[in-house]
Parts: sequence; structure tokens; C-alpha cells
Amino acid sequence: MTWLRLVRGELRKLTTTKMPWGFLAVLVVLAGIDAAVVAFGTDMDGSKTFIATAADQQSLMAFAFNAMLGAALFGAIAVAREYGHGTVVPTFLTAPRRQRAGLAQLTAVLIAGAVLALAGQALVIAAVAVALPSTGYGFMVSAGGIAQILAASTLAGAAGAVLGAGLGAVIRNLGGAVATVMLVLFVLPPLAVQLVSAAASWIPPTLFAVISGVSPEISLWAALMAVAAWALVPAAAGLVSVQRRDVT
Amino acid sequence: MYTLEIENVTKRYGHDVVVDDLTFTVGPGRVTGFLGPNGAGKSTTMKILLDLAKADRGRATIGGSRYRELKDPTRSVGVVLEPNAFHPGRSGRNHLRILTDGAGIPAGRIDQALETVGLTKAADRHVGTYSLGMRQRLGLAAALLGDPPVLVLDEPGNGLDPQGIRWLRDLLRQRAADGGTVFVSSHLLAEVEHLADEVVVLSHGRLVATGALSTLQQAGTSVGTPEPERLTHLLQGAGATVRTGSEGRLVVRGLEIAEIGDRACAAGIALHALIPETGSLEELFLDWTSNDDTHVDGAGTADVTTTERQAVPL
Repeated sequence: MTWLRLVRGELRKLTTTKMPWGFLAVLVVLAGIDAAVVAFGTDMDGSKTFIATAADQQSLMAFAFNAMLGAALFGAIAVAREYGHGTVVPTFLTAPRRQRAGLAQLTAVLIAGAVLALAGQALVIAAVAVALPSTGYGFMVSAGGIAQILAASTLAGAAGAVLGAGLGAVIRNLGGAVATVMLVLFVLPPLAVQLVSAAASWIPPTLFAVISGVSPEISLWAALMAVAAWALVPAAAGLVSVQRRDVT
Repeated sequence: MYTLEIENVTKRYGHDVVVDDLTFTVGPGRVTGFLGPNGAGKSTTMKILLDLAKADRGRATIGGSRYRELKDPTRSVGVVLEPNAFHPGRSGRNHLRILTDGAGIPAGRIDQALETVGLTKAADRHVGTYSLGMRQRLGLAAALLGDPPVLVLDEPGNGLDPQGIRWLRDLLRQRAADGGTVFVSSHLLAEVEHLADEVVVLSHGRLVATGALSTLQQAGTSVGTPEPERLTHLLQGAGATVRTGSEGRLVVRGLEIAEIGDRACAAGIALHALIPETGSLEELFLDWTSNDDTHVDGAGTADVTTTERQAVPL
């Protein structure tokens, strides 16, 4: 019960500032860009073959890596600003066994990240569906395909938020946490692929392409396990940091 | 009834010793002022007491338990630590809602606490629009949510207007009169003089004075002598603090009046006056904290009575 109360408090923290609305606004803009791409974009030869098949459309709408990146920024900002504003002090006074508080915070951020990612994916699907009739192509993705990309994005949002929250708890500085998220998700993966080509199968864009059903690179289960590792390693580091370091 | 106990606590940050073998007790039913210059280690000591920072050595307890071992910490201890520990885009009411959610305190307490601190009208405004005094009041409302018997407050009077200071004084004295334990740090010495029954004074992380304020204020002696420099050197060598007061007289603390007379007599120094003197808290504070080069013994404190101690300088 105590832990559930803490989760409730953490969810209220996330919903009583403008931050979620800011992220939602970004999602609306992204969906609008997708709609514009569908309506006005063409291939190099002037055709619209990039939306000609169900697989093309599913690939275009697959939002999971963007969801992971956005949710990671959301998680990092949500946690790092707690240290910046000092609002982590009353949290630790309420729950002096800090791992419990840290777990509650991760849980709340996970839920918020998943909801935002689901909303973002739904907006993209809706935007593409609205834009397609103007192109002469119909909406060809099956209900199963839609369900798959919704599930993949929701998972990506949850994983990204946990990853970001873990990094935010370790870095504790808003700018530093955001920069580290970008480093971990944008810079390190291509660098790793340059060094070890086999790493290409295990970086987030590939993993979410597999989970979204637009790439058969590795098995679904392997991709799910790898995504969990991407989220849980920083989260564990964050929990250790929360437990060991002083609140200054 | 909760007693706060700090036992041999030492805290280092890198090579800096922020709190150095600190031992003192804060009892219930009294207001205890926690004094010291900036950087003396007051906030760090409070954070160690509240398990927000780990001591390198020693133990800090509340009613015999570590803070983290308290069954219901927010109903046991109310805390004000940081005057700006709020999200500026969140309303005061929502800040308190988050705390009641996490602590399982009935939401009805929010309106009571807001009314107690006089913030009812501003409760739904963003904290970013609050003045420093309003933020202090919101911090106090948060501390009072669980109606705790212990209050640990770091500079709660900062930014409050005179009416607010008066209100705070009445509130804390009432809590102590009801048997609560009130431990409050402040730079407002005149206010502490009005408020505190006891004081604990730190300098450079070490205890330099603790005891009943009324006793400490009387533990000084005004000394008239034609040889002030010689007598000063003699008494400082015996562990006293000595400064020049009005009319060229020396104000001596840390030695009994008879001992001052005996030592002057033994050294052949004539005395023209030897009068017990009551000092203001400000004078005492400067005596306790401004003579750090005249440290005499390792303990840094000396007993006045069995229960009340007066400091000798570091």
C-alpha cells in the first residue's frame, strides 16, 4: 500500500506541471509532419511508391524509436528536475528507504512514457489515415499491423522513460541528463556499429523495427529482451545512485 | 515525546570536515535554536539527522531510531530544509497534494495546513509567483501536514515579514508547550533570543556551546583591571574567551567568577571590578564563533552544570 501511495504521488507530480502537455504538443506536430509527408512527399522519381503497400505504410507509421527517444527525454527531465528544484527532498522524507521512492518514480515515469508514446503513435496513425485519401492510395495496414505498431510504441515509450529516468537519477542535472540521453540513443549506437558490425542488430532502431514488424533482423523475443536490457541497466544504475548518494 | 540525539557525528566532503565529532541532544517540550556562521555545518547536521546524508562516523536518532526506521516519518517529523524546494509551475495546493498522496495523509489536512500558515487565498497559484515569505509558509504547511510532534526547521524565518515572524514564534512556542520537540536553525539572533529555550552553537563543524540560553547569557564576567593585555593573555591561556567591552572592561566567558579572581591574584594583577554580566545572544554568538584560533582543549566544551554546558572557544 505504501508503495502504491508513492506511485500515486509521483503520478501527481507528473500531471501537475505543463511538461506532459508540452510533450503532447510535440507529438501533435510530429503527426502533422507525417501527414504532410504522406500528402505532399514523393520518391526521387516523383511517384508515391513509399506508401504503395501495406508494409510501406506500416514502416512509415512505425513510431517506436521516436517514442523511445521522446520518452527517454521525458524521463530524464522528470527525474533530473526533481534534484534541480529540490523537490526530491520531501520525496525522500516521505519515503526514507529511498529505493522504494526510486522504484515508485520509475513506475510513474514508465506509465507516463507508455501513455505518451501510445498517444503519439495513435496520432501518427490517425494523421496518415487522414492524409492517405488525398494520394490515391487507401489505408492498407491490417488491424493486426496497427495493433503491433501501437504495442511496439507503447513498449518503446515505457522502456525509453525508464532509461531516461535512470540516467536522470545518475546525472541529476537537467542539461547533463538530456545530453546523456542523446549520447546514449543517438551517438553511441552508430559508434558501436562502426566498431562491431554485429552490434547493428541490437541497437534501439533495429530492435523496434523488429518489434514493430517491419524488420526480421532478429527474433521478437530476442528484441524484447534486448529492449528490456537497454531500459533496466540505466534504471539499476539510477536506483543504486539514489540509494548511495547524499541529497545535497 | 521524542528526543533528538546527535552522537559523535563526523561528516567529510572530500578533504573538508564539515561536521566534526558532534554530540548534542535536543529535548522535547522546548524550542532549541541551532546557530552557527555560514558553512558551520548546521544544514549538513540536519540532513544527517533526516537520513538525507550519511555520516562518516557517529549516529543521529529521533526518539532512539534512525529517521529511516521511523514507522510513519511524516507523522513523526515535520521538516523545512530548502526555501525554494518547489516546482515553480506547480500550485501550492498541488505541492501539498503530492505529499499527502505519498504519505497517506487525508487530503482534508491540506486546507487546514494552508489556513494555519495563511496561504488559503494563494493556494491555487503557481509557486513561481510566490514571494520568499509565501514559499516559507508553504514549506511550513508541508511540515505541519502530518501534525508531527517533532519539527526540524532550517532557517524558517527567512523572508517572513514581522507579522510572519511573530506568527512563527507563537506557533513554535505553542508546539513546544504542547510537548513537541522543536529544533530550529536561524541567522536571526534577536529572533532566536525571543524564541529559544536552549541553543546549540556550531563553528567549523564543531560544537562550541550548548545549554539553556538563560544560563549561557549569565555565564559572563565584566572585569576591570589596569593590566588588560596581561590579564587577557592569562585568562585565554586558561581557556576563557575574552573581549573588550564597554568602558575598557574585559568581558570574560568560560571561567567562573571566583576562578578569574584567583588567577588574577596569583599572577599579581590588580582588579578594579569583577561583576557578573548578562550578554545578548549576539555578543555571545560572536564570542563563541569569532575566536577560532584560541582553541584550548580538544573537547571544545566545558560543563556549566550537569545538564547545561557552556563553550570555550575553538
